[in-house]
This record gives sequence, structure tokens and C-alpha cells, in this order.
Amino acid sequence: MNIDSVYPKVREIIADVLVIGEEEVSLERRLIADLGAESIDFLDLVFQLEKEFGIKIPRGQLEKNARGDLTQDEFEKGGVLTAAGMAALKSYLCEVPADSFKANMKVNEIPMLFTVETFCKLIIAALSEQTTLETVA
Amino acid sequence: MRFLFVDRILHLSPATFVRGIKHVTRDDPYLGHDEQGRLCFIPSLVGEALGQLAAWNVMFSNDFTLRPVAGIASCAKPYRPVYVGETILLESFIDNLDESVVQYHSVASVGNDVVFTLDGALGPLLPMEDFIDVAVVRRQFAEINRPVDDTFNPKESHASSEMLLSEDVRPAPPMAFDRILSSEPGVYLCAEKHITRAAPYFPDHFPNKPVLPMTVLLECKLHLAREFLARAGFSKSYQLRELRKIKMKEFVYPGDVVISHLSVKQHDDEMLILSYRSEVDGRRVCVLDVVMTAEGN
Repeated sequence: MNIDSVYPKVREIIADVLVIGEEEVSLERRLIADLGAESIDFLDLVFQLEKEFGIKIPRGQLEKNARGDLTQDEFEKGGVLTAAGMAALKSYLCEVPADSFKANMKVNEIPMLFTVETFCKLIIAALSEQTTLETVA
Repeated sequence: MRFLFVDRILHLSPATFVRGIKHVTRDDPYLGHDEQGRLCFIPSLVGEALGQLAAWNVMFSNDFTLRPVAGIASCAKPYRPVYVGETILLESFIDNLDESVVQYHSVASVGNDVVFTLDGALGPLLPMEDFIDVAVVRRQFAEINRPVDDTFNPKESHASSEMLLSEDVRPAPPMAFDRILSSEPGVYLCAEKHITRAAPYFPDHFPNKPVLPMTVLLECKLHLAREFLARAGFSKSYQLRELRKIKMKEFVYPGDVVISHLSVKQHDDEMLILSYRSEVDGRRVCVLDVVMTAEGN
């Protein structure tokens, strides 16, 4: 399972959810800044992706994935990312250009960074976790 | 004119399921006419009643700290009008609930007839006090929460030919746009609606933050679809089947002017799909598709 295998369907769903042409969607485009997504669109998008791929994406999963092994306190303090938190975020969102990460970034600003590729990665992670669980079961 | 449609909650399992009823009577302020001129409950408001029922469950489940607002519905299907004298059995099934959003689906029926279904509904949860005082909403809940045992059977409540309907029962003014701004028959329509604070739904929707109910906007759009068909002069007649991909992206407030663009997404011998985009000050506030099928299909 790789980006190429999920991207066509993700692209179609994003275009559908945002009511834009598929030609406007590409892997590096940011959902909010480039494609005009709003918070309700993220809810819709996650719902559609869950339905299409038969996966469960708990709310806040992207932030949780980015946090990795860091505790909440190590990741952010008072809603602002710590240095360790920023490093973890940059590492997880490696597809996002470095200049998009600004200093003293707030946790609630993280969605501004999400690109189409970010969602492809999220789906691949959810699918692989599901496969692991099924194997264990 | 109250904009609260659940008359009674019959059963509530927190965060899981809720059942209630709505009697449609001559005392209802939101009545309209079906295609045969018979008095019925405004169709989109059956969807409103289902949404309100789900909201009661959610608000009870979080001890009235948060309330859901209209966000998304993947599909809403009106099957038939509900007439004066009929009782609607409302059922909402909570599929997922957390501190930020509820996901649910709902069914409305009269007797053995399903009259309306709502699927894939997603409602963001927002702080209760932003919309209504907690004491007020608790009191409203206490008034209607009167559970019954399983022997209660609202399915026995039907409209009857013996209904006493006097001539003075007046339908509500149609929920409609104010005027057409531009039209290309059979292709495109653009309409405008000014949102006035005087509209009867604002006191309940909501006392601390009046916002246009999504279902009112949907009913206006269905009215606009009829106007579109009247102007189009298609050789076939089309009948409403469902509303799809409904999304309310932003609140619409009194004082706003809503501009709605209607265009044909698909048109063939069997099906007509109309796509709607509504804007306020150039910001997209609501999108949906209306699916119609040719009569006889």
C-alpha cells in the first residue's frame, strides 16, 4: 500500500467534498490555504474516507500520529508546540515545505499544514493498523 | 410560532437511540399544501424534527453543555407528505458521539409508511450557552421527556376521513426565495433571499444566537427547484427523490442576503440532478444536490 494506490480515490473524494474540480487537487496542495477547506469540510472528508476505505479515523488522529512517543506535555505547552513537538511534527509531516512551519505554532493551527498527501498517509496508516489488528486477531 | 417539533420523547437511550412523536394538527403553524392541495406539514421540517430529536439525545447525554448544529447530511429522502391528523413516529440512531461531533441517522414514519429518512448526518457540537440558556433548554427537555412503556403504539394514530378541518386553517407562507436574479431556462437559476429577524423561527433557533435553520434553506431550495422546472419546459415531468451531499458550511444570520445558484449537474430521460451553491457576501454557506426522477420511473 503506497501513496499512488490511494491517491486517485482520495483526490476524487476531496474534489467531491470541496465541490471543486479534480484537476485542482494535487498531492502537495494544502486543504485550507489552497483548496478552501473549512472545519466542517474536514469532518465531511474524514467521514467519506472512512466509508470509502472501511477504516476508522478517530478525531485528532493526525495530531496523535505527529506526536508519536511524546507525551502531551512534551508535545505542547499551553496550546503552543514545544521545540520537541515542532520537530516531531516536521518529521511526521515531511511532505510539507519547511517554510510552512512557523515559530510558536499553536496546536489548533496544525490543520493549516495538512496537504492532500497528508490524508493519503493517514489512510495508509489506518489501513496498515487495521491489517495488523486483523492478523493479530 | 415555535420552531420546536418533537412533541414528546417516548424513549431515550443516551448516546445511542431516541424515539419521539410529532402530531401534525390544524394547530401547526408550519403547514403547506401538497400537489393535490391537501394540507400537510412542510416536508423539510420533518427532517428538522428528526434533527431536533437527535439533538435532544446528544444534549441530554452531555448534560446540556454542548448542542449539535446542522452540518452535513449525505442523504435526506422525503417519501410522502404528512397530513393534518397524522402522527409522525420519529427515531434517531446515534452512530458516533464524542465531544466535538455527533454522527447519526434517522427515520420518520406514519403507521407502516416511512415518510422521511436522513442518512449520514454529522453535526458539530458547540457550547450550549452560545445558543440558549442551559436552564431554558433543560426546561424544554423536561416538558417533552415523558417516556412510555413498550405497549404504547403511536402507529395506531392515523389521519382519518372523519377529520374536522374547518376552512379557516391557513397554510404558512411558502418558504421561498424573494426573487430570481437571473435565469437560463433548463440550465441555470440564481435567486436571492433577504434574511429578516422578523422570521418566526428565530426566537427558538436560537434565543442567544439567531441563525437560519438549514431546513428552512432546504425548503426554499425545493421551492426554487419547482420554479426551475416550471421555467425549463422539459418534455418530461420530474419528481423529487432525495437531497444529497447537504453541507451547511457557515451560519446565516438575520440581516444576511443569501444568493443561491442552481445549475443542472445531470439530465437525461430518467434523472435530473440539480446542484445548489448558496453564498453570503461571496462566502459559500451551503451546498447540496437535489435528485429528481422522471415521472413513471
